[in-house]
Amino acid sequence: MSTATLSHAASHSSHDHAEPTGWKKYLWSMDHKVIGLQYLFTSLLFLFVGGGLALLLRWQLAYPSTQVMPNGDVGNPISLAFINPQFYNSLFTMHATVMVFLVVMPLLIGAFGNYLIPLKIGAGDMAFPLINELSYWAYALSGVILMASFLVAGGAPAGGWTSYAPLSSVAAYNNTQIGQSLWCVGIFINGLASIMGAFNYITTIVNMRAPGMGFFRMPLAVWALFITAFLLLLAVPVLSAAAAMLFLDLNSGTNFFNPAHGGQPLLWQHLFWFFGHPEVYIMILPAMGLVSDVLAIFARKPIFGYRAMVYAMVAIGFLGFIVWGHHMFVSGMNLVLSAAFGVSTMVIAVPSAIKTFNWLGTLWGGSIRFTTAMLNALAFVLMFVIGGLSGIFMASTPVDIFVHHTYFIVAHIHYVLFGGSIFGIFAAIYTWYPKMFGRMLDETLGKIHFAFTFVFFNLCFFPMHNVGLGGMMRRIADPTAYEHLRSLQPINQFITLAAIGLGFAQFIFLWNFFRSLKYGAPAGNNPWEATTLEWMVASPPGHGNFEATPTVYRGPYDFSVPGHARDYIMQHEPPISESPVGKPKRAVSAG
Amino acid sequence: MQSRFYRFVSPFLVLLFVGLLPAHAEIRETSVWWLPRNVNMFGHAIDFIFYVILVLTGVTFIGVFSVLAYFLVKYRARPGVPAIHSHGNNTLEVVWTTIPVFIFLGLAIYGNEEWSRMRRKTPPADALPVAVVGEQFGWNVRYPGPDGKLAKMDAKKVSKENPFGVDSADPAGLDDFTTYNDLVFPVNRPIRLYLGSKDVIHAFYVPEFRLYQDMVPGRVYDFVWLKAEATGKFQLACNQLCGQGHYKMFGKLSVVPVAEYESWAKGKAPAPAVTATSSSATPVVSNQR
Repeated sequence: MSTATLSHAASHSSHDHAEPTGWKKYLWSMDHKVIGLQYLFTSLLFLFVGGGLALLLRWQLAYPSTQVMPNGDVGNPISLAFINPQFYNSLFTMHATVMVFLVVMPLLIGAFGNYLIPLKIGAGDMAFPLINELSYWAYALSGVILMASFLVAGGAPAGGWTSYAPLSSVAAYNNTQIGQSLWCVGIFINGLASIMGAFNYITTIVNMRAPGMGFFRMPLAVWALFITAFLLLLAVPVLSAAAAMLFLDLNSGTNFFNPAHGGQPLLWQHLFWFFGHPEVYIMILPAMGLVSDVLAIFARKPIFGYRAMVYAMVAIGFLGFIVWGHHMFVSGMNLVLSAAFGVSTMVIAVPSAIKTFNWLGTLWGGSIRFTTAMLNALAFVLMFVIGGLSGIFMASTPVDIFVHHTYFIVAHIHYVLFGGSIFGIFAAIYTWYPKMFGRMLDETLGKIHFAFTFVFFNLCFFPMHNVGLGGMMRRIADPTAYEHLRSLQPINQFITLAAIGLGFAQFIFLWNFFRSLKYGAPAGNNPWEATTLEWMVASPPGHGNFEATPTVYRGPYDFSVPGHARDYIMQHEPPISESPVGKPKRAVSAG
Repeated sequence: MQSRFYRFVSPFLVLLFVGLLPAHAEIRETSVWWLPRNVNMFGHAIDFIFYVILVLTGVTFIGVFSVLAYFLVKYRARPGVPAIHSHGNNTLEVVWTTIPVFIFLGLAIYGNEEWSRMRRKTPPADALPVAVVGEQFGWNVRYPGPDGKLAKMDAKKVSKENPFGVDSADPAGLDDFTTYNDLVFPVNRPIRLYLGSKDVIHAFYVPEFRLYQDMVPGRVYDFVWLKAEATGKFQLACNQLCGQGHYKMFGKLSVVPVAEYESWAKGKAPAPAVTATSSSATPVVSNQR
């Protein structure tokens, strides 16, 4: 492709493909919006699968089927007998695998990345529509393969989502050779989906922005997905390679990770976390970007420190690749290396702090509209602060010696991934649902859903900090087996009840989602009076998105500009002094 | 509206607190909501840093929360009050970048000091060496006999019959004795651990010791040491997922007065010699890679 003419040529050539109609649309469409919705529906389905697994394992922790009371009474009458210790290990392994690879990544990157990137940059479609479609089907296939592992002999993998070798790599140790092999295959194919998506996003964003859409006029959601795509492209292949090596160890007699024959268990950990830590940012950066857009819309203000926000995300992207060792402080890797990773880990907290302060700055002096989307975005900020701050404890190497692998970590990861990513996803769904389906979600149901989710989320996950500090380990099928944990059991039961409340609150969301498809109030083009390009077209946008490629005249967040009748000016609106056909120039500096 | 909301929510609250009722009789020495008591010499530093971070993060959280709450009330949408059009403030950006940088670097540097003290400095010469080797699903423990010396461990020699990877010809090991799932530490004496594994990764975890260390097969870690400052009975828990029986891989760990330890050790017979296949004893695989 010649670079000079790309932005126009590419956006028009990309939707030359005919749009299939009817049900075929949902099988063979290469339209980025249809693929985005396919990702959305599939990953929402998996959200409930992953949540169901979580509730089963929470039930076991509160009422263990293995429980033998000190006085000899066996078990609890309301325990679930089918959750034996091996199945329990499968439950948390698959809960995490499903939530990471089949829910959070595809929701943020597959669904919102696909749906919003072309619309927000003024392109007709992605650069490679066919690869985009392949990406979705690879993702769906990986989901089927991972789920199938429940049905094979030996059951689903039970080595944790981190699959530490040699437990994962030697069949005699894990007793789940087929399940673990399917995990490797599923993760490999899932990785292909991510890689295909990632280079598609990068190509699209670099080449297909509408005229006038300079990099520093892109909404932060696009910036976040752009940086995330680079992280995916650099990190995921490492996991794919590691999964392939693990598969060979399990099935072909290689010994990459088996020390009995000269392999290195720590090699797996380095490979896994070289992927795994950027992965953490892959799962939070897009949510940060989407939430930034939502905060600006409903605070009616430009993002405070737009450029600082962009630089902070770039910094997170870079630093994200040199902190993986903080997952291995106590693995026994070189102790000087641990110290170095301790420093880089502390440093990566800085850009997250910058982002938080800028979100507060965005709210300062705003005219805040408390929509359901806004409430979820605010919850994101607050929960992300808790999750970020609790991370500092583990970043300190001495404290990590104490809290490593306890429920403190479980609390931390859920404050970041549920409190952060999932609230961010809800904020995004409530904001862009009207664009996707042309109808509004019900605000009352939305607020009830938010209130229950927020309260039960905190009741569920906050006490986990305490049981973790009390010495409760992760990944044990029965805490009552331990004397020092038995007195924590009432807290575990409390957490389980809160988890059940949290799970059932999501049915309010489900009801609202499907009911509003038919009965929601019509949305119109721009129900939130927002500024970015997706709000200038019909809801839902037609095939090809824009009737004519829009020209961009200003930054993404021109809210509440003084001397203007409306409190928002859309990106494609020309400055009053200029004619619409005039050459676009930097009308309003962003940041 | 308020009371309707309360009526709606109250059954759920009741449901939640019912879960707290079947409280078990056993009472911890400390509150169930907080850290267990600390008995390890290094635990003080860990707890201190923990509280420093707790204060820092607590103040930060209260600050962020208060500002957020204040902004949400003060800047709620009201008719006729427009939002301020502002793109930011570079001075503020510099300030709130610089301050966290210094706080976090300070924490990292201070943490590293303690980390070096705990893990990188060699233990005192009079430390009692104790070898602990994990297996699915239990703990092999090896104590030195009257000579105070353990046989040299070689991770390469670890096998089913030879969990510690020792050479049976090693004179230091002739009087060693072994236990299974049973550790006894003398109080107030430094103890140097030699940690290994026969099969998969296990982890040595005792919350009252503020101590966690992975035990990786193919290696023997010799850099963990501790000093128990109080007597008591504890549980050694495996805290690295190691398979089906992981959840009940625990051992007894008691800290006893020195005299009691010595009489306990005297009563133990030396470990039966393992069949040696090689006579060249290689040194401990330490943390040099």
